[in-house]
Amino acid sequence: MEYVYAVVILIGLYIVLAASFNLIIGYGGLISIAHPIFYAIGAYASAILSRDYGFPIPLAMLAGTLIALVASIMVALPSLRVSGDYLLIASIGFQLGLIEVFKNASWTGGAGGFTNIPAALSASVPREVYVAIVVVVAALAALLVRAIAHGPYGRAMAAMRDDEVAFSALGRNAVAMKVGTFALGSALAGFAGAFYAHYFRFVAPEQFDILQSSVVLTMVVVGGIRSTWGPVVGAVLLQALPQAITFLNLPPAVLGPLQGLLFTGLVLVFMFVRPQGLVSAGEVWSATRKGSEHARS
Amino acid sequence: MPVLEIAQLNKSFDGIIVADGIDLTLEAGRIVGLIGPNGAGKTSLFNLVSGIFPPDSGSITLDGQSLKGRKPYERARLGLSRTWQNLRLFPSLTVLDNLLVAPRHYAGESLLRLMFTPGSVRAAEKNDRRKALDVLERTGLAAVAQRPASDLTFGQQKLVGVARALMNDCRCLLLDEPMAGVEGQAYQTIQKVVRDIAASGVAVCVVEHNVAFIRDLCDEGVFMFAGKVLARGAVGDLIADPRLTELYFGT
Repeated sequence: MEYVYAVVILIGLYIVLAASFNLIIGYGGLISIAHPIFYAIGAYASAILSRDYGFPIPLAMLAGTLIALVASIMVALPSLRVSGDYLLIASIGFQLGLIEVFKNASWTGGAGGFTNIPAALSASVPREVYVAIVVVVAALAALLVRAIAHGPYGRAMAAMRDDEVAFSALGRNAVAMKVGTFALGSALAGFAGAFYAHYFRFVAPEQFDILQSSVVLTMVVVGGIRSTWGPVVGAVLLQALPQAITFLNLPPAVLGPLQGLLFTGLVLVFMFVRPQGLVSAGEVWSATRKGSEHARS
Repeated sequence: MPVLEIAQLNKSFDGIIVADGIDLTLEAGRIVGLIGPNGAGKTSLFNLVSGIFPPDSGSITLDGQSLKGRKPYERARLGLSRTWQNLRLFPSLTVLDNLLVAPRHYAGESLLRLMFTPGSVRAAEKNDRRKALDVLERTGLAAVAQRPASDLTFGQQKLVGVARALMNDCRCLLLDEPMAGVEGQAYQTIQKVVRDIAASGVAVCVVEHNVAFIRDLCDEGVFMFAGKVLARGAVGDLIADPRLTELYFGT
């Protein structure tokens, strides 16, 4: 059971990651792939504050989320003021740089990782409670992104993606909206990171590297960019598939490359066969679910 | 007091002069037509006023407030509205939603307001919707309100561009070739809408090559050539001036 719980929790956390990344890259149209670094910030910050500074866990998780939020604003604000292209460069630089810090600093546990993170729940509480909490958080995250994307803010994001110059000349502050979108998406990732840290009780730098970026991107693209349930489907599928492959009893030397091939292969296949992803979003923005289905074809 | 006041405005791109010491004022309730051949700097003047690019020198004031250093969105929030020669509608939004993102102040663009005062956002949305439906009614677009903007005929899209600009409750409205490619009913509708908006006290400026439209609609004409304002007066007089006609049609 322990194994199944771990898989379900990972799926739940990746749903949060994929849904929030969909907000940034899909709805916001912001090109960045550094999403896992904000997951890392949430995880490390919450872990360090609770283990080494005696923060109660809920407070540490909240702090981790806020630190991810502030860090994302610090990356996005200067680059987005110049142009959208700089966000990609600045965020990758930030991701690679910060991972080096995690690898080399003593207060992060270095390359060996940060261990003995306090558990969120005491041993007497059944594991199912944590699983249930993560599942609820995942559902709420997907629904929050959906509410934003199909509300007044989402309408404005759609207009901004269509024509930013016309959008600005109507009185809309495009830079503020982009920074806000990036910050909210990154804060959600940080929140997911905090959940990760206090369940698995161990974080290491390589868990958040550029390969993870491609995993989250694949979930959004294969699942269906700019759709509510696409990233959810993507997260379930791309977490469950690699787990299923491990049951094939292949030698580790084959298993590792096989998973990499699987992800790359999926992206390639989808690019040719179904570029809109498994769940396709409507071409025309709509405030209601009905409308987005109407546009499907 | 004029609504929009442009003084000694200069702008050049790599030596090509698009604004050469332009002085121009627009008054409330009056419609001014900008005429001149292609490349005279008419659209560039609109871009300078709306802040798409900054002037090299000179000043622009709206209701006495300097626009210097203000971004396009800040100018729109002060009550400056415009349309575009090439429409620039939002193709992935319906006609109604094209209007709903265009009010002078849009409550829904702030995540903080959505989070902490969702009620005020809902109230603003309701107001904006009522207003948008009214504008669509006036522009004869009510029947296509729920259609994607990209589905409409070119004439209807022009109307959407004008309707969207009206959501601002603007003080000054700049219309860039609202009539190019427009025929039939839409032609009459745009004329009426522009007259009504001017009558409500808005300063209107129209760039248009359709001389008949300018003559019927505008209180005054301004003739531009090579980034300069050469003449200002009754449209009929400008058209009759052989010197200007020669510049317009070239030789």
